[in-house]
Amino acid sequence: MTRPLLWLLLGLWSLAATAEETLHYPADPEAEPAQPLIIHAALDLPHARPLLEAFHRHHPNIELTYRNLTTLELHQHFLDAPDAADVVLSSAMPWQYHLANDGHAQPLESDVARRWPAWAQWRGELFAFTFEPIVMVVHRDLIERFGEVRSHGDLLELLSDHADALAGRIVTYDPVRSGAGYTYAIEESRLSPRYWDLVSSLGRARTVLTGTTGEMLSGLEEGRYLLGYNLLGSYVRDAVANHPQLVMVVPDDYALVTQRLAFIPRLAPHPESAALFMDYLLSEAGQRVIAEQTHLGAMHPALSGPGTAGALRDEVGDALRPIAIGPGLLATLDRLKREALLARWRREFQREVPALR
Amino acid sequence: MKRGDSLYRRLLAWLLLPLLALGGLMVFQAWVDARHTADRAFDRLLEAASLAIAEQVQWQDDRLWLDLPPAALDMLATDAEERVFYSLVDRDGRFITGNAELPGDERGDSESGDTLLYRNVEWQGMTLRQGVRRSRLEDWRLRERFEIRVAHSREGRDALTHELLRANLAYILAMALVAVVVLLVAIRSALRPLTRLRRAIRARDPRTLAPLDLPLPRELAELRETLNELLARMRRVRANQERFIGDASHQLRTPLAGLSARAELALRHDDPARWRDALSAMQATSARTARLAMQLLSLTRLDNPEYRPELTPLDLNDLARQAVRDHWAGCHRQGIDLGVECASRPVRIQGIDWQLQEALNNLIDNACRYGGRRITLRTHARPPFLEVEDDGPGIPESRRLLVLRPFHRGEEGGEGSGLGLAIVDSIARAHGARLELTQGTDGQGLIVRLRFGEESP
Repeated sequence: MTRPLLWLLLGLWSLAATAEETLHYPADPEAEPAQPLIIHAALDLPHARPLLEAFHRHHPNIELTYRNLTTLELHQHFLDAPDAADVVLSSAMPWQYHLANDGHAQPLESDVARRWPAWAQWRGELFAFTFEPIVMVVHRDLIERFGEVRSHGDLLELLSDHADALAGRIVTYDPVRSGAGYTYAIEESRLSPRYWDLVSSLGRARTVLTGTTGEMLSGLEEGRYLLGYNLLGSYVRDAVANHPQLVMVVPDDYALVTQRLAFIPRLAPHPESAALFMDYLLSEAGQRVIAEQTHLGAMHPALSGPGTAGALRDEVGDALRPIAIGPGLLATLDRLKREALLARWRREFQREVPALR
Repeated sequence: MKRGDSLYRRLLAWLLLPLLALGGLMVFQAWVDARHTADRAFDRLLEAASLAIAEQVQWQDDRLWLDLPPAALDMLATDAEERVFYSLVDRDGRFITGNAELPGDERGDSESGDTLLYRNVEWQGMTLRQGVRRSRLEDWRLRERFEIRVAHSREGRDALTHELLRANLAYILAMALVAVVVLLVAIRSALRPLTRLRRAIRARDPRTLAPLDLPLPRELAELRETLNELLARMRRVRANQERFIGDASHQLRTPLAGLSARAELALRHDDPARWRDALSAMQATSARTARLAMQLLSLTRLDNPEYRPELTPLDLNDLARQAVRDHWAGCHRQGIDLGVECASRPVRIQGIDWQLQEALNNLIDNACRYGGRRITLRTHARPPFLEVEDDGPGIPESRRLLVLRPFHRGEEGGEGSGLGLAIVDSIARAHGARLELTQGTDGQGLIVRLRFGEESP
């Protein structure tokens, strides 16, 4: 992996490219012994705050410093100073996996870690602690005009039948500009060759390509777009709650699921505090906070009800396709793979684009 | 006896140590085998993954191009969640793509087709198993060379190695246990007859010399036979001793009874002349008895196996001449012709001066006593011997062995003690010499010859 490309890709990942934010929870002066804990994360403060507050209530002796960075900054920081953070949280799965694969993570040895589902962890070093589906957002106008869109198959049919009517009213990630969009493209192309039919149909419908979920959501909220394809579910839930004209659709043929990955760096300065935090993050209590106070999706096997992976499974059944935490993720970071996939994507996208104007 | 020196221990050590060494070797071999098997099984993954990647290598835009199949990487990670590394390198060894710049392999290409090389490499503090595939593009014209390097950490291999080894270890341990138990039982049962023999010997009446009679294996039966032979010899020795004591007491009792009778007879008379006769007769008898006692003593001493006097160099000629000098006067009085024929050179042997003199005294005495008129002492240098010849009646051949036994006289009723030749025989044995009795030179008389061994330098 050549460095410049890595940075480029990571820069494109920015789901919510915000400036650096820091939260600080001082240790309770009465609780002994005081232990520092430094968390570097790419997780917005509204999502992170409830979790951190709950953790600090459990362990008031921890002096907690939380820095929210973009995925790019997070990666850069880590490689510059691998001994600066005690816990690293990020939604950029391939990059987190890349770091762990290279031996930058240390295993977490605790009962909680051992009980964590095998498919949601890697070597006891890397843990997936959220469960966020990739969804479609459909405007009620579209449903009224063309009927329900419940699956990728429906979408393909819709695009084939009404390409002209929908021209410019569909929005999705630009895999060239967005790291997340590129990751989804790779995963979807692995799932089925029909993905390429969908890409060329999207191309025929002159789909608008954007770089972030935020951009797509604002366009949808304003009514510029009638359908958004491949949005991160955790961000969509708020928007849908505030804008009743929008409907979130978890496709029932297949739905990718992305997960945020956490690990303790091998050179973590305070590994005991880090283990405490990880144990809390993976515990029933921590996961309940995620389920009840965030849209990230808790995935503790014992939890059920709204905001959990279990509830989502009940809703869409076998259609959920969590992105596997395995060496396959390394292919996402391959320079030539990216070029090859993007070349194909462009080719397919432009295959049936009618001449403009 | 030292604590360590026991047959049981020796057998155990000599059987167990090689067995343990063999067991250790087997464990080591099992480990090597297990590792080899695990590597062979897992190397298939490297082979398949590198093939899957190699198939996707193309030539595009004047350079090597790879559409990396994610499944090829997933293939390299088993349940053990190995760390996975790969790289594509062009014919000049330049890194094209990959997640790690893995080292190359120095080894040469195989004869045909793709070259596949496996080995363990140390990479950034991790031990990896690396597979290198050298291949070339199968384009219409272009046959560009390239190299796929894939590697993964060894957890899966180690787990399989341990699993295989555990199965083998259980087998080896069970075998070792059985072998040890069998060994212990075998040694114990092999040594049991020895214990039986020891108990049988210990349980015996210390006075009995009866042969041992118990069934034993061949090796110990030989020991039993040897013991029985020893016991038989001891029985014979004891019988001899008992007879000797009986004879000796009988021999001593007769003159003592004679003395007592003579004294009693003399006391009945008042005549001093009679007393004198009786006293002189008693003196002669007591002198004979004293000599008998002397001879008994010397025979006992000679027959004592513990008695080993120092041998000194002697000249037989000197001995013979000295004996003639000592006896000449006595013989002359009895009208016996005593002579000596010496070898021309000194006859040197290792011997005990007084014993050989005693032997000569006895032989000359015997010759005088049994009617010899002419006695010749003769020495000979090669072979060294000493002989005494007389012209008396001799001893018939059938009785020559018998006369060597104590208290056996050549002629019943003679006045000798019957110990002379027995003493000579004992002396001969003490000198390692042979005692020979033969007929005299004229077909009569007797030659008693002490034939010594050749003198050792």
